[in-house]
Amino acid sequence: MIRFILSRGLRAVVTIFLVVTFAFIVLRLSGDPAMQILSVDAPPEAIAAFRNEWGLNQPIWQQFLDYLLNVLHGNFGDSMREGRPAMDIVLEHVGATLMITLPALALKIVIGIPAGIYAALHRNSLADRMTMMISVAGFTVPSFVLALVLVLIFSVHLGWLPSTGNATWKHAILPIVTLGTAGAAILARFTRSAMLEVLGQSYIRAASAKGLIWRQVVTGHALPNAAIPTVTIVGFMIGSLIAGAVVVESVFSWPGIGYLLISAVANRDLAIVQSILLLIALCMVCANLVVDLLYGWIDPRVRLRSAH
Amino acid sequence: MTDTTAETGAPAPRTDLQADPVARGPLARFFENWPLSVLLALGWVFVVLVVAIGADVIAPYSYTGLDLSSRLSPPVFMGGSWAHLLGTDELGRDVFSRLVQSIRMSLLIAFFGTIIATTLGTSLGFLAAHFRGKVEALVLMLIDFQASMPFLIIALAVLAFFGNSLPLFIMLMGFNAWERYARIARGLTISAHEQGYAAAVRQLGASPWRTYGHHILPNIASTLIVSMTLSFPETILMESGLSFLGLGVQPPMTSLGNMVGYGREYITRASWIMLSPALVIVLTTLSISMIGDWLRDRLDPTLQ
Amino acid sequence: MNDLLQVDDLACHFSVRRDHGFPARRVPLKAVDGVSFSLAAGRTLALVGESGCGKSTTAKAVLGLTHKTGGDVLFKGAPLPKAGTREWRRQRQDMQLVFQDPLAALDRRLPIGRQIEEPLHIHGVDDKAQRRETVTRIMTAIGLKPHQAASFPHELSGGQRQRAVLARALVLEPSLLVLDEPISALDVSIQAQVINLLVELQERLGVAYLFISHDLKVVRQISHEVAVMYLGRIVEHGDPETIFTAPAHPYTRALVSAIPTVRTTKRERIILSGDPPNPIDTPPGCPFHTRCAQAFERCRIERPELASTGDGRTVACHLAHAPDVRAVA
Repeated sequence: MIRFILSRGLRAVVTIFLVVTFAFIVLRLSGDPAMQILSVDAPPEAIAAFRNEWGLNQPIWQQFLDYLLNVLHGNFGDSMREGRPAMDIVLEHVGATLMITLPALALKIVIGIPAGIYAALHRNSLADRMTMMISVAGFTVPSFVLALVLVLIFSVHLGWLPSTGNATWKHAILPIVTLGTAGAAILARFTRSAMLEVLGQSYIRAASAKGLIWRQVVTGHALPNAAIPTVTIVGFMIGSLIAGAVVVESVFSWPGIGYLLISAVANRDLAIVQSILLLIALCMVCANLVVDLLYGWIDPRVRLRSAH
Repeated sequence: MTDTTAETGAPAPRTDLQADPVARGPLARFFENWPLSVLLALGWVFVVLVVAIGADVIAPYSYTGLDLSSRLSPPVFMGGSWAHLLGTDELGRDVFSRLVQSIRMSLLIAFFGTIIATTLGTSLGFLAAHFRGKVEALVLMLIDFQASMPFLIIALAVLAFFGNSLPLFIMLMGFNAWERYARIARGLTISAHEQGYAAAVRQLGASPWRTYGHHILPNIASTLIVSMTLSFPETILMESGLSFLGLGVQPPMTSLGNMVGYGREYITRASWIMLSPALVIVLTTLSISMIGDWLRDRLDPTLQ
Repeated sequence: MNDLLQVDDLACHFSVRRDHGFPARRVPLKAVDGVSFSLAAGRTLALVGESGCGKSTTAKAVLGLTHKTGGDVLFKGAPLPKAGTREWRRQRQDMQLVFQDPLAALDRRLPIGRQIEEPLHIHGVDDKAQRRETVTRIMTAIGLKPHQAASFPHELSGGQRQRAVLARALVLEPSLLVLDEPISALDVSIQAQVINLLVELQERLGVAYLFISHDLKVVRQISHEVAVMYLGRIVEHGDPETIFTAPAHPYTRALVSAIPTVRTTKRERIILSGDPPNPIDTPPGCPFHTRCAQAFERCRIERPELASTGDGRTVACHLAHAPDVRAVA
């Protein structure tokens, strides 16, 4: 078990390292930072001073090491536009994002999982077919389309809810509903197929054959086993609490991480982009790690398999 | 969750097994193999393909052509004129002509993106399975990395660093979901090498080219094609999402996401600008994923 | 030496990760540890033993498919080229392998005629028309109907598939054929047919067989020589009649006693307890002493060498060489 935890932990560290390396390589490939941050027609002395200050004259591995050290301290330099440390600006926006993604996550779980279980237990019923149709839509309707349709209905035609901004709690409703419905559809689909697979297993037939009433079979045997794949997808959703609202925040002008990221990309504010990249990577990797460990705890086969 | 089965203790009834195919006519049997939804999906994809290929012939106006005399004219079914079937935008550009051009652009990007992802993923999977050891560890590490980061974020970072151009954007879309093909190619190749036909052919003296090109690739092709139909719509969604944000296809070129992004500004006054491309995105991705699901059930039940 | 195949002190040691314990250690696994034998043209040598005794690894090393860590393999007097190289690939014309599971070994997407023709194609033998003719000839010789060339593997029966695999292996007329458990995936009734076919083909084509099996009854029918392996080493080697009528090594005795017979005379059945020891932790002394009923002090300390017993076979057992040794010890 210790080895299992350590191997997964190592994998998480490797992924983070890859993200940082990726950022470094892409940053270097994208051109001379001196030329980008200063302008092309800056005086040569200024460029030389800049290169010296940022260590650009050193060998590439030395630069990479310095870069790693800076990253370890959470230091990505200052935002070009605001002239403040990028990480500070990024962290200021986390709260706004969580304000819509956390309720949306709750919505996904509360609607998606029961709907998936119900659909699986009533396979081929009208309710099942309806659930599946809606969940297919959850995969194929892009979030910006769903968001705009909701705006069209509830803001433009009915005039019930505001469409952009974050002044009141009412402003949060449409973003939350947009995120929640799409995610609930996906979760319902996963839960349904996990349930169906479990219900087809021989131990379920054995459990009903030994005389348990169906409800006991479902709650005692089917649900715990079907929980295993569902945990993975929920874990992924938790990991994307910060990254998952990029498009929706942009549609509703909700001042969270996604909104910040889009404007930073448009302005090529590289310090901000890198800070967000690392923050998101950390969230994803931590969530993956927790899911892996949870998985190993729920399902002993995983733990044993990984030991081979 | 209480229904009749709760009392009997029997598993949920499976009505799909009760159907008796012999008792029904040839028409019913035809629809069993080719469900109506799949036929409709195939029909829609066909229409979209024809539009994409014949865009220049079909479009009544140039997609950049301005008609300042009829700005924001509504589509026919909303009381507009037949001159502009789907209405015009703020600059008087014909929405239908722009839509046709956008379909071509979006399909083109998704098509090349999927081809690149398949080629890249399959090659890396083959390399991992062929060399094992360190090469395999490296490929697995990259797969892990790709699978654990949302691709939208990676794409945004690359666009931030490199700026945007169409070839770069298509390349970028080619990195979407490559890890899926790499996993499939690696897994199936390893099992073919361990006890199967690949080991047999290799020891007949076949070159690696022959082993991979004549035997392994044709054997895993159906699985790869199914994955392609499943990830093609995802690439369309990724492209239109980025274009919607203004970071994908750049004006004056236009794509479906681009049109929606532009139409969003006029949502209160001229919602048709954004509704028709949005509808095309939804119908196209829906159709292709339905065909993909259907293909998977028919060709490759092992894939899930 | 005019032998077709000469194997001297062959060793295949793998480094494996140890499952339990932390940190993970890599320990050597001696799959094959000092195996020597030779095989003349047109003869059959059978390697027998329990699963995991190293017989399949030996077969792979002989073909150059597994990296050997020690010893020599000489084929027609020359060492094997490195696996995967052009020379190695060219040499496949002369040495072929038949797998255990014919369905897995055939490409399910190609008709078997194409697959039987493929070796000719790979090695650039003949033109298209001549190749077709060769395929028809070999299919007839092996008991398949020429029209079955268009069949796909899943359309054939198990026996027919193995015939197709044999046809593919023999179409280049190799001088050595390695058969790795070629009949254990087949029904008993078909096993006999395939064995008869193999014997017949050997007489006709003069091909040598290295026959890997755990089925001693089959081995007795087909082989000219038998080598019994235990934990990566040969423990007894000789002609099948001597070995099967009077096995000298206690392990061989146990194997022979387990052959099912129709004779009604009561035989003593020796039942081995437990599994063979883990090849990572081979016991000191004779590797078999942990399961041997006759083991005594010396067996736990000193490993017996493979030595001739004077009746044309070699045995690795202290008791076989000096039956009274126990009294001395």
